[in-house]
Amino acid sequence: MIKLIEKIEGEAKLNFNFKEGRIDFVDIEFMSTRNIENILRGKNAFDALVINPRVCGICGHAHLIATVQALESCYDNLELSNKAKIIRELTLNFELIQNHFKWFYLTMLPLFGHKQEILKATYPSQLMGKAIAIFGGQYPHTSYAVVGGVVCEITEIDIIKLQHYMVETLKFVEENLVKTKSENFLTCEDAGALLDFEGDLPDILRQIKKENLLEYGKSYDRFISFGHNSYFKKGKSLKTKVTHNISILHVKESEVPSSFAKNVSFKDKYYEVGPLARAMVNKTPLIADANKKYGDSIFSRILARVCEISQLLQHSKELIKDLDLSEESYIEPSMDISKLSSSGYSAVEAARGTLIHKVEIENGMIKNYEIITPTQWNLSGGTKDKHGVSQKAMIGLSDVKTAELVFKSFDVCSVCTTH
Amino acid sequence: MKKKMRILWLSAIACNGNTHSFLNYPYMEQFLDDFEFIYHPVIDSEYSLKDIVSKEITCDILLIEGAISKEFKRADVSVVDIIEKYSKIVQKIVTVGTCATFGGIFRESGYENTSGLHFDQEEPSENFQDLLDKTISVSGCPVHHEVLVNTLYAIKKEVALKLDNFLRPKEFYAYTVHNGCTRNEYFEYKVDNHRFGELEGCMFYDHGCQAPFTHGSCNKILWNEVNSKTRAGLPCMGCTEPTFPRQNLFNTKKNMAIPENLPVGVGKRVYLTLAGISKAFKIDRLEKKLFDD
Ligand code: SF4
Ligand code: SF4
Repeated sequence: MIKLIEKIEGEAKLNFNFKEGRIDFVDIEFMSTRNIENILRGKNAFDALVINPRVCGICGHAHLIATVQALESCYDNLELSNKAKIIRELTLNFELIQNHFKWFYLTMLPLFGHKQEILKATYPSQLMGKAIAIFGGQYPHTSYAVVGGVVCEITEIDIIKLQHYMVETLKFVEENLVKTKSENFLTCEDAGALLDFEGDLPDILRQIKKENLLEYGKSYDRFISFGHNSYFKKGKSLKTKVTHNISILHVKESEVPSSFAKNVSFKDKYYEVGPLARAMVNKTPLIADANKKYGDSIFSRILARVCEISQLLQHSKELIKDLDLSEESYIEPSMDISKLSSSGYSAVEAARGTLIHKVEIENGMIKNYEIITPTQWNLSGGTKDKHGVSQKAMIGLSDVKTAELVFKSFDVCSVCTTH
Repeated sequence: MKKKMRILWLSAIACNGNTHSFLNYPYMEQFLDDFEFIYHPVIDSEYSLKDIVSKEITCDILLIEGAISKEFKRADVSVVDIIEKYSKIVQKIVTVGTCATFGGIFRESGYENTSGLHFDQEEPSENFQDLLDKTISVSGCPVHHEVLVNTLYAIKKEVALKLDNFLRPKEFYAYTVHNGCTRNEYFEYKVDNHRFGELEGCMFYDHGCQAPFTHGSCNKILWNEVNSKTRAGLPCMGCTEPTFPRQNLFNTKKNMAIPENLPVGVGKRVYLTLAGISKAFKIDRLEKKLFDD
C-alpha cells in the first residue's frame, strides 16, 4: 500500500509491504529534486554563500555555515577571530532551537491526536529569528557569514537585545514545554522522573507511555555525529560505546534507483543522526538514561530533540560571556579567491543532524559541489537485507498511522533531502 | 461567524523559505482569524494535497511559491495543471517570492522551461496571459512576511493596490532597498572605505550592494522587526528583482572605476559629476569610527 506523506517540507511516498499483518518492508521515495549542486557549478565560489541557504527554508542557516566552513577549508592559513567563531555558533544554535519548536508544535502534536499549536511554534521561533537577525540582518536566508568571519559588528546594546530574546525564549520553555526552572530540567538524569513534570513535553511522553508506544521507532541504536563545536562532539555511539576518532572519508553516498534521495553510509553501515545521536555522542545523562530504558524509540528521540532547546539556550548564554567585542569580526583572507584552486569540506550540526558540504574550486570558480543532508542519513532507503535507519524503525509495525509517526519522529525534510 | 478568506498555498520548485518567512508574521493569531488555508505546506489544513489535486476545493486566493515548470509535479500532478484548475475559481492569484514571480534561483534547476508565473526573468512569459488581471506579485527571496500578509489583507478588503510593471504593489516596491539603510551617509558623500565587519561604510562601491537599484522595503519595514542585510553589513543581493541571482555577488561590477549598475534613474554622466562634487566633502566623522574614543 502506498501512502503519500505530506507536510514534510514537501512529500515522500512510502510504499508499505505487509506480511501477516505487519510491515515487512517500506520503500521510501522522494519524487523531485532541484539540482542545487548543478546550479552551483561554474559560479563564483562566494556566490555559494547566497545560493546555499536557499537549499532549505527551515535550516538554510546551517547550509550557510556549512558553505562558509567548506570554502574556508580550501585556504591554507586562513585567520578567523574567536569572536566570529562564537557569533556563527550562536546564530546556528538559534536556528536549531527554532526548528525544534516548529517540529514539536507543528509536526509532532498532530501525530498524537492534538491540534497543532501554531502560536506556540511561531512565538519562540520568531524570537530566535530576531536573535539571528541582530547579527545576520534577517532570518531566513542571510549570508552574513563570509570567508574570513562575519560581516556584522556587534555592540554592547546588541548583546543586551539578544539576551532579552533569549530570556524570553527560556521563559516560554519554562511556562509551556517543561514547567519547571530549566536548571531542574537540565540537571535531571532520570528519564522516568521527567514523567512527573508538567508541560507539553511531559504530556506527550506520558501519552507515549500510556498508549504503549514505548517500543515504537527503534532502529539500529547506532548513532553518528560529525559537526563538532564548543558544544557538540564528533563521534559515533554503538550501544552506549562512544568513539571519537571517525573520519568523513568513510562517509559514502550512493544512488537509489527509485528515489531522488541518495543513501548515505559510514563504513557501509547506516547510522542515525540528529539530536538523539548528538546526545548519545555527548553522553548527556538524561538522554543516555532514556536510551537505556527505552532504547532508540520515539520516546528518546522526542525527548532528545526538545531537551536540546534548553541545552542550547543555556550553552549560548555561556558563549556570550566569552565574546570579546574588541576582536575583529572579519579578517580579510590574504589570498584573493580568484587565485585559489583547491578543495575542501565541512561538517556542521543542523537541526536534524550532520550536514556535510564538499567543494572543489578552480580559480575561484566552483568546479564541483556536493551536499549530504541529515535527512539523507536517517531516511536513506536501503534494501530488504539492509534497511535504512527509518525503514528499520517502521518494520514490524501493524498500521500505517503509527508508521507515519515513527517516520516523522526523524523529522523528514523533503527539500533538503532532495536538494 | 465572519467569513474567512480561503487560501491555497501551493509550492512549486521551492525551498519553502517563503513559508518560513511567513511564519515570522507577529500577529499570526489575528491572521488565522481572518484567513484559512485549504492547504499549506506546514500548517494543518482541512484538505490534503491529494484532495487538492484530485478534487476542486472552493477557495478565494491561489498563492504560488516556487518556480514553475510543466514537468514539476506535486502528488503526481503537474503544478501547471494545478494552477490552471484553481486559477479559474479564485478571485486573486499571488506569486510569492522571486521564484514564483521571475524564476529566481530555481529557474536553473533543470526542469523544462522553468520560469515565474508571468515572467521569465524580465521577459513576459506567454503562458497564463488570461490570468494577468488576477495576479499580484510579491517578490523577494524570501518575501517579507509583512509584504505578503498586508497584500492578502488588501485583497480581503478589496483595496485597489497600485502595481508596478511586474505586478508588484507599489506600496512596497516603489522604494529602493537603499532607502533607510544606516549606511546612507557613506553613500551620499561617496566615502568608499567599507570593510566587512564594521558598522561604517557603504557596500555599493566595492562589495556589490544592489540596494540602490533594487525595489523593496527591507530598510523601511526591517526584517524580523529588528534589522536588515545592509544595516548588518551584508550587501543587498537584489533578491526582489527579475535578475536575481546575478553573478559575483560580493563584488561591485565596475567599468573604469564606475559601478556598472547605478541607482534607479541616475545617468552615468550625472553620477560622475555628482560623485566628483560629493568627494570634495571630506567629512571627518565619516572617515573615522562611528563610536570613537
Ligand atoms: S550599503 Fe547599500 S543600502 Fe546601504 S547605503 Fe550603501 S548602497 Fe545603500
Ligand atoms: S536587502 Fe536586498 S537581498 Fe536582502 S532581502 Fe532585501 S532585497 Fe533581498
